Amino acid sequence: MKRKVIAALLCTSMAITLMAGCGSNKKTGADNASDTTKTETAGDEGNADADAETETGTTEKKASGEMLTKFADVPEDVDKEQTLRYAQGADPRGLDPAMIDDGESSKPICQMYEGLLKYGDSDTEVEPCLAESWEISEDGLTYTFKLREGVKFHDGTDFNAEAVKYNVDRQTVNKTEDMLYADFVYGDVAECNVVDEYTVEFKLTKKSTPFLNNLAMSLGAPMVSPTACDAANGNLNEAPCGTGPYKFVRWDKNEAVVMERNEDYWGDKGVAKEIIFSTIPDNSARVVALTNGEVDIIDGIDATVVDQITSAGCLLYQAEGMNINYMAYNTQKVTDPDVRKALSEAVNIPELVDSLYKGYASQATSILPTFMPGYSADVKQTAYNPDDAKKILEEKGITELKMMAYTNPRPYNTATGQTLAEALQGYFDKVGVKVSIDSYDWTTYKEKLGAGDYDMCLYGWIGDNGDPDNFMYLLAHEDPEMNVALYRNEEYNTMLSEAASMENGDDRNAAYAKMEQKIADENIWLPISHQQNLSGYVSNVQNFIAHPTGNVFLSKTYKN
Amino acid sequence: MFKYIIKRLLQLIPVLFGVSLIVFFLMRVCAPDPAPIVLGQHATRESMEEWREANGLNEPVVTQYVDFIKGAVTGDLGTSYYTKAPVTKEIASRFPATVELAIIAIILAAIFGIIIGVVSSVKKNSIFDNGGMLLSLVGVSVPIFWLGIMLIILFSGILHWLPSSGRIDPSLRPDTVTGFMIIDSIIQGDTVALKDAVVHMVLPAVTLSLYSMAIIARMTRSSMLETLNQDYIRTARAKGISEGKVTRKHALRNAMLPVTTVIGLQLGSLLGGAVLTESVYAWPGIGNYTVQCIMKSDFPVVQGVVLLIAVIFVLMNLIVDVIYAFLDPRIKFEKKEV
Repeated sequence: MKRKVIAALLCTSMAITLMAGCGSNKKTGADNASDTTKTETAGDEGNADADAETETGTTEKKASGEMLTKFADVPEDVDKEQTLRYAQGADPRGLDPAMIDDGESSKPICQMYEGLLKYGDSDTEVEPCLAESWEISEDGLTYTFKLREGVKFHDGTDFNAEAVKYNVDRQTVNKTEDMLYADFVYGDVAECNVVDEYTVEFKLTKKSTPFLNNLAMSLGAPMVSPTACDAANGNLNEAPCGTGPYKFVRWDKNEAVVMERNEDYWGDKGVAKEIIFSTIPDNSARVVALTNGEVDIIDGIDATVVDQITSAGCLLYQAEGMNINYMAYNTQKVTDPDVRKALSEAVNIPELVDSLYKGYASQATSILPTFMPGYSADVKQTAYNPDDAKKILEEKGITELKMMAYTNPRPYNTATGQTLAEALQGYFDKVGVKVSIDSYDWTTYKEKLGAGDYDMCLYGWIGDNGDPDNFMYLLAHEDPEMNVALYRNEEYNTMLSEAASMENGDDRNAAYAKMEQKIADENIWLPISHQQNLSGYVSNVQNFIAHPTGNVFLSKTYKN
Repeated sequence: MFKYIIKRLLQLIPVLFGVSLIVFFLMRVCAPDPAPIVLGQHATRESMEEWREANGLNEPVVTQYVDFIKGAVTGDLGTSYYTKAPVTKEIASRFPATVELAIIAIILAAIFGIIIGVVSSVKKNSIFDNGGMLLSLVGVSVPIFWLGIMLIILFSGILHWLPSSGRIDPSLRPDTVTGFMIIDSIIQGDTVALKDAVVHMVLPAVTLSLYSMAIIARMTRSSMLETLNQDYIRTARAKGISEGKVTRKHALRNAMLPVTTVIGLQLGSLLGGAVLTESVYAWPGIGNYTVQCIMKSDFPVVQGVVLLIAVIFVLMNLIVDVIYAFLDPRIKFEKKEV
């Protein structure tokens, strides 16, 4: 008997010990509500419209630090010997800009390499970088770039017109099958010629306004040192060498990429002496690493951990992402525009977005995110009207439809395709349409899409270069795995190719707004949301901007 | 003995052949097509087809397998689809992390497991016995990922005593000599790095060792109980040998045989990549890496890692058998063969 009591007591005490972690965690969660509110109140001072702004999709201020749109000047007395630590959810694929396609590679690459052009601090307007200026010929087919003089790659090689030609040729005439963005960035380039040591000329095969934006991308476009590239047999994945403000030190696989300040940098030198990009795959472990002071900035977080971050006194950076999360109608199967309209009327998008993404995604009122050129607030999407939807669908005799969805979370839909599909299924059910859902993991899903056996499917897009053509082209793509609505419309294709060759400006923006309205009127897509990029950082981090492209440029970021 | 070892090593060949066959065909049947993963968002049907062609995935599976085996025999396991780096290099750069963690974990598990097992058997049915066995029951039943996350939340998130992830603070990392953080920092006399490496090791090692410790403790206890009931123990006691000496010299040494087997096999499985522990603690070893590669359908890497794990298992078994002979002079391998 005595033994049993002792055993029972031991059992209980061990259970309590093991639960300690859980209990404390819950307590943190419960405490959060009040903490977050406090922070929000403090943060909202002088920014009373924050909540209203969320509705329209502009950046908001919630438990967050300053949402900078431009990097501030760095004070003289900042510690220049500091190390800045950034944690992300996966190891980079590689560190050669020509060989990668992932955000985890792109972020370290942005510190070590530069392209001819760069984006604005918090938008996708192009600015000079390694090219000081450029001219476009009248026919729009020749681009001449005047290069910055006195720039050297990290290995001491001079940056000049020959280096540019080497880089372009590498991804055009000498392209290999693993150069994932070569066609995207340089697909329109017929040839690249050296005019003089600091002037280079690109001949294009057709007029292409997105070309300038392409040259500012972190994938494909950054310039690599020709000497280093030859020495590494044409693959700089493990021996990166660019002109950027930070130089590569080492890459401990699955652990960290370490880089140090480039003391010979041509522009303003980096503030932190060392930057470390660590890999912490588990979401909650990454958050603990932040709150435990092991790292200064983390990204790739979702709404579930926001409270944990803010209650530990860390700050949140919320920026609208360059992406779109949408449902596409298979226009080859659901051919009647009235049916598509009725189905779109059945879904209450604001309610759906609020409940699924808890305020960390904004409702999509157009295909293009609000900060991109070509976005127009005047584009009218089909409004929520379940009564009308029910009536029309009844008249048309639509009772059963088939939807395809992916099971994974995606960068534009953190709630997973399956969850979104089930929510949509609920709305369609209310208007008398039974929707069956077939869901697959992402890779199988892409294969299944090719067969076209669906009435509706879920999809999304992550923008590459900040140009509207990058989003709108999806609806003209011939590949059924890209143009999942299987939309084939000559008029649209003509509008698209005309807009792609127009000069940037109001006329071009208006052309895209017109195309947006055409797609909305025909109900080809049901735009759902733009996922925000969420980052967490410790409160003494200053001058931090998470760029809408998903990149970070940390040379001016520092800790107090 | 030498003949025996050679014979066992030769047995590796059919084992590896079988394992390679299974993993090769399983990956091709079950894993999704790598082309869309490797080529990313802009993958078109055309580009995916080109890529499959370039990587030999359009060849008949048997041809692909023969090519793989030809390469593997010469030590070339191919290149990773995703990173384009040679598989052997990718594995070699991550293997020391796994070995270091596994060895520390098995040392912890063996020390505490044997102590708990011995105390439990000697003080049978006492509070120590019940407590020890309860702890080992918890050890085998608690899911590692859950325990890992709980320990992170408690010791890193709330108490801020220990780091939650990684092997060492990257800015303190010593130059790579052996690839083992602790040894490298000792070689270079860097006490700051040594301390940091040890501190980083605590949570993953404790998490990883718990299961093995529980198994070892249970095995030690039952083996000890059996031995303590033997006639020669009674004789030893009757001769007036002290209880401590009886336990240590007469009982424990004899009881260690099955325990050695368990320790060896546990070390084998820990070296094979402690997948969950490595993932939770962002430990840059092969377990963590393999998971990522399975997700990306990176066939060459998964094949390479599985072959490596098979080799480790066979070798660990062999080592355990050889150790038997040292522990128990009655075992002679040559005799068995006669």
